[in-house]
Amino acid sequence: MLLELNNVSRTIKSGNKKITLLDAIDLYVEEGEFISLMGPSGSGKSTLLNCIGMLDDFTDGHYTFLEEPVHDMKSKQRSHLYKEYIGFVFQAYHLIDELTVYENIETPLLYKNVKSSERKALVADILDRFNIVGKKDLFPSQLSGGQQQLVGIARALITKPKLILADEPTGNLNSKQGLEIMELFSELNKEGVTIVQATHSESNAAFGSRIINLLDGKIVSM
Amino acid sequence: MIKNYMKIAFRSLLKNKGYSFLNIFGLAIGITCASLIFLWVEDEMSFNDVFEKQDQVYYVPTNQKYDGEWRTFYSTPGPLAKVLKDEIPGIVRTAKTVGENLMFAVGDNAISRAGKYADAEIFEIFGLSFLEGNAKDAFKNPEAIVITKEIAEQLYGKDTKVLGKIIKVNNNTNYLISGVIENIPENVSFPFKWLAPFERFGANREWTREYGSNFADTFVELSPEANFESVDAKVRKTLQEKTGDEDVFSFLHTMKDWHLRSKFDGGKVVGGRIAYVRLFTVIAIIILLIACINFMNLSTARSEKRANEVGVRKAMGSGRSRLMIQFIAEALLMASIAAIVSVMLLFVLLPQFNLLIDRHLELGLANPLHLSVLLAITLVCGLFAGIYPAFYLSSFKPVEVLKGIKATTGSATFIRKGLVVGQFTVSIVFIISTILVYQQIQHVKNRDLGYNKEQLIRMDVNGSMIENFSIIKQDLINAGMIENITYNNSQLLSGGNNGSGLEWKGGTNTEDVLISFRYVSPEFIKTIDMELLEGRDFNANEALDSAHTIITESFAKLMGTGSAIGKTIRRNEYTYEVIGVIKDFLYGDMYGTSDPVMFFNSSNQARFLYVKTKAGIATNTILSKIESVMKKNNPAFPFEYTFVDESFNNKFKSEQLVGKLSQIFALLAILISCLGLFGLAAYTAEQRSKEIGVRKVLGASVSGIVKLLSKDFLKLVLISITMAVPIAWMLMSSWLEDFAYRIEINWWIFIMAGMIAIAIAIITVSFQAIKAAIANPVNSLKTE
Repeated sequence: MLLELNNVSRTIKSGNKKITLLDAIDLYVEEGEFISLMGPSGSGKSTLLNCIGMLDDFTDGHYTFLEEPVHDMKSKQRSHLYKEYIGFVFQAYHLIDELTVYENIETPLLYKNVKSSERKALVADILDRFNIVGKKDLFPSQLSGGQQQLVGIARALITKPKLILADEPTGNLNSKQGLEIMELFSELNKEGVTIVQATHSESNAAFGSRIINLLDGKIVSM
Repeated sequence: MIKNYMKIAFRSLLKNKGYSFLNIFGLAIGITCASLIFLWVEDEMSFNDVFEKQDQVYYVPTNQKYDGEWRTFYSTPGPLAKVLKDEIPGIVRTAKTVGENLMFAVGDNAISRAGKYADAEIFEIFGLSFLEGNAKDAFKNPEAIVITKEIAEQLYGKDTKVLGKIIKVNNNTNYLISGVIENIPENVSFPFKWLAPFERFGANREWTREYGSNFADTFVELSPEANFESVDAKVRKTLQEKTGDEDVFSFLHTMKDWHLRSKFDGGKVVGGRIAYVRLFTVIAIIILLIACINFMNLSTARSEKRANEVGVRKAMGSGRSRLMIQFIAEALLMASIAAIVSVMLLFVLLPQFNLLIDRHLELGLANPLHLSVLLAITLVCGLFAGIYPAFYLSSFKPVEVLKGIKATTGSATFIRKGLVVGQFTVSIVFIISTILVYQQIQHVKNRDLGYNKEQLIRMDVNGSMIENFSIIKQDLINAGMIENITYNNSQLLSGGNNGSGLEWKGGTNTEDVLISFRYVSPEFIKTIDMELLEGRDFNANEALDSAHTIITESFAKLMGTGSAIGKTIRRNEYTYEVIGVIKDFLYGDMYGTSDPVMFFNSSNQARFLYVKTKAGIATNTILSKIESVMKKNNPAFPFEYTFVDESFNNKFKSEQLVGKLSQIFALLAILISCLGLFGLAAYTAEQRSKEIGVRKVLGASVSGIVKLLSKDFLKLVLISITMAVPIAWMLMSSWLEDFAYRIEINWWIFIMAGMIAIAIAIITVSFQAIKAAIANPVNSLKTE
């Protein structure tokens, strides 16, 4: 069991009203799964991803990650956990404009205090694997969208996470680029990386091993 | 990690050239300005530092009571120095000195230098180092003179041994060079270029050995073990014991206070230049603060651009502290670049600044103190400017910023507006102060002096000027260059040459009033344009006026009602009849009221010639004509002169310095604030570009949008004005209080300063606002 959500909810206050974003969700994710979250805008896909990724907190319920109770942790422990095991891929790539491809990929390693020589080796490996060695000194603005997302995925993978959370990873790409990214995801999944993606697209969802439909913060089907 | 931060910092610096320029330039101006002030402060603080015995050497001023009020004079009677040394344990050395200008001539080479006749212990007291000769033997010969290296080189050239040479002084006496000392730097309170035995000055002047005349500058040195309080207490009693006069006493004034704490009121030290030193230090810090505020403002304003990066970095696993370190490192980098820029600026500006303040300050980056102060300023600015943005930026929540939710929170906007208000408040205070200081200086300069200082040339009396006075006068008048010529025992603009103990009928405690004495030629009053209120001027024949005097209006008032003409005044054993009354005139303290004056018709004490030149003739022509007349009638001496209006202007040096500096600071503060405002306006325009687009699509006009964007900033400036006015009013009232003759603070100055601030703000903001308003709305609406 990689992670387990028991009856988790997230509510926010807007003015005097309480808005429920996620409502009593139960979810179990085994290592090696490839899950697609589907649902219309505002159904809670992104919120669920962010909360699983510990960028955001559930307001209720129990969240267990690798047998450890995330809901009882202090933020430092939590950040240690996600630095170690979780990688993010964003719809808008979110590369740092001022850094080159190489440096963008290297950044998570810096935050993990990986030694310089080891960093070089790791980054070189992944550049090689993604076939972007020739682009390592370019800045994000010099790349196409697909290439940027490739770098984004490389960056998410560099720390060898157990779980990749991808929020509409192909949302800003054309269909050909999107397909390439999805193929890359399935390949990674076969190598053992657990993936949870949020998507609008049926065809993208089909790459997953399991589809979960959300509506108004509730799971309507699994 | 640091390398990564620096890389990012450099790249974002290059990518946002405009912002970087505003930031760095603003900070560089701040650092430059603060550095200039600190250099000046250092110079002020280091006055007299060249002398070793800082803690042991004292000057002896004298307090005298007139009309129940203690006044402090920089003069002592001749015998005091010896008495202090002989009778007060703890005082190890004393020296009385009196200053004089001497003309030295070697062949055709003649120079004039100020120096002192002094007692021999002066060498030890000031710890002067001899290049030739020694302190012990320097004054053994009564004709001795010790000169500075500068005089020796001027007269004999470099690397010439001059010990034992005979030097001709004032073309009539010989002095024997008995020593050469190191040059005395500019920043000493009692400068001198030569020293000669006091006896030579005192030889034919009996009054230098009496208690009746105060004329000497007396210096004393205490032994290192001596207790200042007990020695000072004894010094305070000495004069009274010797003279029996209860209204006079001397005291000790430490060398450490000579320059900065030398303003006396009621016989006590009440500060002095230290006030300006403190004021400018505060100003330097304020200017740095404004520059730092700019930095904070622009950084937080740019937060939206950085927000995404913060979000990504947090999602990548960065903790908050690491982000803070990153942002502070960026601020430090900016500050370092600003420091380098400001060093370059300093190289360019320091010579101008030196001209302005009339000093020779040096940047001296090799001086560890200067370098460490510069580094400290850089570090403090970087940290201070970086810390708020660091806290603010690192607080963003990744989920929100990555989703594109606007990161600006109410508190940041509030703080940002607060900072702008702070900056403008300071700027407006500077504007108001500048105007008021300027007004005050003009006010005093335009004060009715009671005489006309224009076209008046002063010469020191030497050689046969007085013997040949009537010939010189005739020659000059014949040449058609001058209106008239006269002499005086005192400089027109200066105080001194005064005394008390006079008696007359119609007044009370007349012997208590301090009266100034002026020994002048007939036609003195006419020459310098004083106004004769009643009676007549002196006779052309001096002898006929030996028992006559002319007095000032304020003196006449002291003699009771009715005309003063014909009344008599008793001074020592002589009685003088008043033959004329002139309007009061101003001398000494240009801000105060001058003491009553008694004029005598006498050439005996003439020390200065005053020439009133004709209007409408070129100065050069006049000067060369006067020179040729003087050469003919006083051949032994070079023609040296001073314009009275120039000396007059020199009397306002420290006020003028304050005026000029506050002008510069006002300009800089406004410039820096404008840089900040400009950046902020650009940011606002950018942030509201979508709103502007929508409004334009809905039919808003360009002018309407400019108004919309400028309105908010104007509100801030208005708040600043309301804050600045009371602050400026308080500051300037207390500054003006130091002057007896001063301006009233007018309300229109505040309005004017406010208008200036508003105008500057409008110009700054509207540039951005217009740019935003004329942009094509399609572009801004497409970006979403």
